[in-house]
Amino acid sequence: MIEALELLAQPFSKEDPEFRVFLACGFTPLHVRTFLAAELRIRLPQHRVGVSTGLFGDLIGNIERLEPSGVHALAVVVEWEDLDPRLGIRRLGGWRPSNLPDIAESAEQATARLQRVLLKVSRLVPTVVCMPTLPLPPLFWTAPDRAAYFELHLHQAVASLAASLSEQPGIQIANAQLLGEVSPPNQRFDLKSDVITGFPYTLPHASRLSGLLARLIANQPLKKGLITDLDDTLWAGILGEDGVNGISWHLGSQTHMHGLYQQFAASLAGAGVLIGVASKNDPALVEQAFERSDLLIARSDIFPFEVHWSRKSESVKRILDTWNVGADSVVFIDDSPMEVAEVKAAFPELECIVFPKSDYQRIWDLLKDLRHFFGKPLLTEDDSLRLGSIRNASEWRESIQSAASSSDDFLRAAGAVISFSLTRESSDARAFELINKTNQFNLNGKRLSESEWLNFFSDPTAFLLVVSYEDKYGPLGKIAVLMGKSNDCRIWVNTWVMSCRAFSRRVEYQCLRYLFEDIAADAIVFDYQPTSRNGPLQEFFASLLGDPPAGEVCLSRELFSKNAPPLFHHIRKAVHV
Amino acid sequence: MSELESRLIRCFSSVFPALTPEEIRAASAESLAAWDSLAAVTLVAVVQQEFSVQIDLLDLPELDSFEAFQTYLRRLAACGGAAGSQ
Repeated sequence: MIEALELLAQPFSKEDPEFRVFLACGFTPLHVRTFLAAELRIRLPQHRVGVSTGLFGDLIGNIERLEPSGVHALAVVVEWEDLDPRLGIRRLGGWRPSNLPDIAESAEQATARLQRVLLKVSRLVPTVVCMPTLPLPPLFWTAPDRAAYFELHLHQAVASLAASLSEQPGIQIANAQLLGEVSPPNQRFDLKSDVITGFPYTLPHASRLSGLLARLIANQPLKKGLITDLDDTLWAGILGEDGVNGISWHLGSQTHMHGLYQQFAASLAGAGVLIGVASKNDPALVEQAFERSDLLIARSDIFPFEVHWSRKSESVKRILDTWNVGADSVVFIDDSPMEVAEVKAAFPELECIVFPKSDYQRIWDLLKDLRHFFGKPLLTEDDSLRLGSIRNASEWRESIQSAASSSDDFLRAAGAVISFSLTRESSDARAFELINKTNQFNLNGKRLSESEWLNFFSDPTAFLLVVSYEDKYGPLGKIAVLMGKSNDCRIWVNTWVMSCRAFSRRVEYQCLRYLFEDIAADAIVFDYQPTSRNGPLQEFFASLLGDPPAGEVCLSRELFSKNAPPLFHHIRKAVHV
Repeated sequence: MSELESRLIRCFSSVFPALTPEEIRAASAESLAAWDSLAAVTLVAVVQQEFSVQIDLLDLPELDSFEAFQTYLRRLAACGGAAGSQ
């Protein structure tokens, strides 16, 4: 507590951007406010963090009165008494058995009202919700050992609300199970403090709850790929010594935890996490091992395989190149501390973990740590396409390098189809994700917070263009996003990103042709800024303008028509405005 | 300055960061506008953590100055609490 207060007393830099959070709760916010502000300040050191609160005893009203444009995030902490005051202890309203149906009905009405207001506000401001963390008071007529009907009914109402809200893109529900691990339920409630001050939490609970809320509000960047070893990691045993049928991952051979790890890796692959293999092994034997039908992860879930006897760091480098991601976005797992040390020395930014073979509890903890690294707010259709599209891009590069024909002939023969989707809505989670993780073809390197993303669309001239691509090698999914504003015959582009998987296909030229022809622009103004990593975009502008630009770019229709190369894509268009 | 006093000054400083140590020694709910009910509860929480003691919230009205906190902590220590020994 003292550290939190001292941290908050440190001066801000006036040049740092503001980050305003509204903490909505029905109790006196007191220490939750302090801890939340301090936790956010740690996670957002380049921001002037401010946490504001509302009126005591009116959780839902506080959210209803909130002006969303004034805050960057909303944290909602629900307790039972917010659903009906009789579920708390500060207001005496009757706990007779005859009161219970009315309490249950009143709580249901409150959850419905809460749902309505949260659905509305979360469209405009990123929202984090924590469902009741305190015990229900002893108001039911059954002995505490036995769950009472109305008690279960109340839990059901809250669980239904949480499940329904969790599906909304702008809402995150705090995980009650995780909170239970760090803040035991019987150590949360400070009865005397609740009665005397209106603050119902013990200090440790306030601290841990605030930490959870802060982590949800200030998300850390997710990892994109997992590189795993095979022997004594993905399976138990040494393939070269034990043979294809000697390796195991089953209960009977007491190697079940490796099966659990396989199952987990397959789950990550299904969620769009890239899985690669770096193994010192015989490639032919590995091929045979992956033909075993009882393996829980398929060969097709993994790309690429680096199987040879060279150094692991060389394998890792090749995998990173194939995926075209930075080492800081990847986790490397190997059972050998020496291999892990060798890779870590070559890639200090890589998260390197020794697989704790034969230590059941540590493997279990590892799986939970991996969920922290790779956990996603929601799955999109593109998550299932990601690995395939990387394979596609790899095949594309090999084909274009070995093609005897000109690049025009090659592109014509690729049978590419580009789909443009023009909208004025913020509901495309993949578009938001792409903006915040693309570096190379990125107009200015700017990242968008969820609140900036949501607020952008409040301008009636704003538009979002999402571009999908496929060709005879397969679909790449949504690979480019362009955000801008249109007025008369001029377009201002604030954000433009394209996945590196779509390079060399002239998709970027087709995007501009779409703007000139379909939005009928005479000129496009780009909020361009060179960055240390957006070289491909600089080269693209140089191809149109003659030289790489230094700042804002204005491109006329005439200049584009004169310098754009031939385009061979088939075009599909959808407009949702 | 005793160890108890210097640790108590740190507690007060975290809640009233604008005050100097001298001003903290003279601070009271009556003389300090910032010493409202929220500050009082926060002070108690900070002091409880810093000295690993349990302060009864019903004693809040009594804890209305730096001097009162000091006396309270000394009394707790004399009764076998941990305040003075840390």
